[in-house]
Parts: sequence; C-alpha cells; structure tokens
Amino acid sequence: MGRKRFHTGGNGITDPNLTPLIDVCLVLVVILLVATPMTLQSGIAVSRAGKGGKSGVEARASRIEITIRDDQNLTVNRTLVPRSGLRAALRPLLASSQTRDVVVQCADGVSHGTFVSVLDEAKVEGAGRIAVIGR
Amino acid sequence: MRRRHAPRQEPITRINVTPIIDVALVLVIILLVTAPMLSVADLPVDLPAAHTREAESQRNVSITLSSGGHVAVDEEVVERASLRAELAERLRKPGNENVLVVVRADAGAPYGAVRELLADARAAGAKRLAIATRQKTETR
Repeated sequence: MGRKRFHTGGNGITDPNLTPLIDVCLVLVVILLVATPMTLQSGIAVSRAGKGGKSGVEARASRIEITIRDDQNLTVNRTLVPRSGLRAALRPLLASSQTRDVVVQCADGVSHGTFVSVLDEAKVEGAGRIAVIGR
Repeated sequence: MRRRHAPRQEPITRINVTPIIDVALVLVIILLVTAPMLSVADLPVDLPAAHTREAESQRNVSITLSSGGHVAVDEEVVERASLRAELAERLRKPGNENVLVVVRADAGAPYGAVRELLADARAAGAKRLAIATRQKTETR
C-alpha cells in the first residue's frame, strides 16, 4: 500500500485574500459619491434686528444697513448701489465699523437666491453678525 | 510510536459569505452615522449656493420649503398652517431648547415666504436661526 502524502507546499494559497477589503473600499467610495452632495449643505446664521431702546440707538448708529429692492438694486446705508457694486461699497464700511453688524431688509418679491447671495457677499467681506428685518 | 496524521484537506464547497457580511456591516455603520445628517424631507429643493460656511455639523431642526411650495419640519411634510405648532412641539422636547433651526428654502422661492418661515420659527420659540446654503466649491 502506497504511502499517502499530504502536500502543503508550492501550490497552496499563501497570499492574503484582498477580496473583502476591495469590496468594503468600493462600497465606501460609492456611498461617499452618493452622500457628498447631501453633506455639503452649509448655512448662514441670522438673527433678528433689535428694534430700539437706549442701546438700540447706539447699535443702529454703528450697524450697516442693506436694503434689497424689488428691482434688484440695493441701498447700503441709504446710498443706492448697483447689485454688482455691493462688495466695493461694503468694504470701507466694514473696515471702519467696530461691531461689523449688518442688517438686511429685503423686498418680498426678491428671490431667496438673491437674498442669500447678498448675505454671502457681506460675510465674505467680513461682516460679523447678520440680522434680518421683518416686515 | 503512533504517527500523527495531518488533517485531510477537503475542497471548500460552501459559498464564502465573508465579503457580503463585511459589506453589510459597513453599510449598517455608515447608515447609523449618516442618519442624523439626512433627517430632512424628501422634497425637491435647490439650495442657494454660498461661500460662507457657518452652522455646519450642528444638531438642528430643519424647515424645508420646496420649489413646489411644500413645507416640512425635518423629514415630515406638514401643512403650512400647522408649521408653527409642529415646530413648537419639537422645540419643547428635552435638549431642543437652544437647538439651531435651519431654514432650507429653494433658491427660486420668493423672499416673502422665507421671511414668514423665519417669523414662524421665532414665534415657535427658536433662539438660533440659520439659512441653509449649498457649498460653493469654485474659487472666488
């Protein structure tokens, strides 16, 4: 009777199995691709503008007021400014402002996108708190 | 002296389920992690793009105003008239007293509708408000 030999060398699988690792990595990549647009949501914090009082008067004097009109033009501290000139108009005002508070009033017919673009430009130029005025 | 025999190797005939278990576990973990971030209503909303990055990664209650005018609080679509009550109920829950309320409105929506949402949120007791934007990725 011939002797049975158990063969272990040479042809056995000696490399680590990479299949599970690759599976997991591919799933991660797919999920990141799908979830990225959802998680790129950000935000701009807003508060409500104070109405008055003794401290309110001082606050009103130091804050910068932007009004967005129905015709898309703006007023910055009651000076008419074209939409494209907002940043240039805000820059010196914010540089000289101590509080850098900006108050925004917007006409109801203006699109939300326009409103947000104004807030964003103010923030980019260095605005501190942004308050919105109601009706 | 008895000779020790090496165990006899048999071919593996069963299906290897290890990869599918790996993938399933990773999916479960990712869903657990991302579920709180995705607690927003499934309404079509084209958020306005902005460079500013504030109020990120904070626990929040969201109010969604879709392009079709539908309103939702977190993932629940509500009637416009009942928004204030629904929001007040959520803000009354323990731990929500100072929670950030994020208004997610479509870029094409009129500002008047957004202003009313902000006013309703204030009236419902929201102390901190933010307007949701989509992150602009291009350089300034």
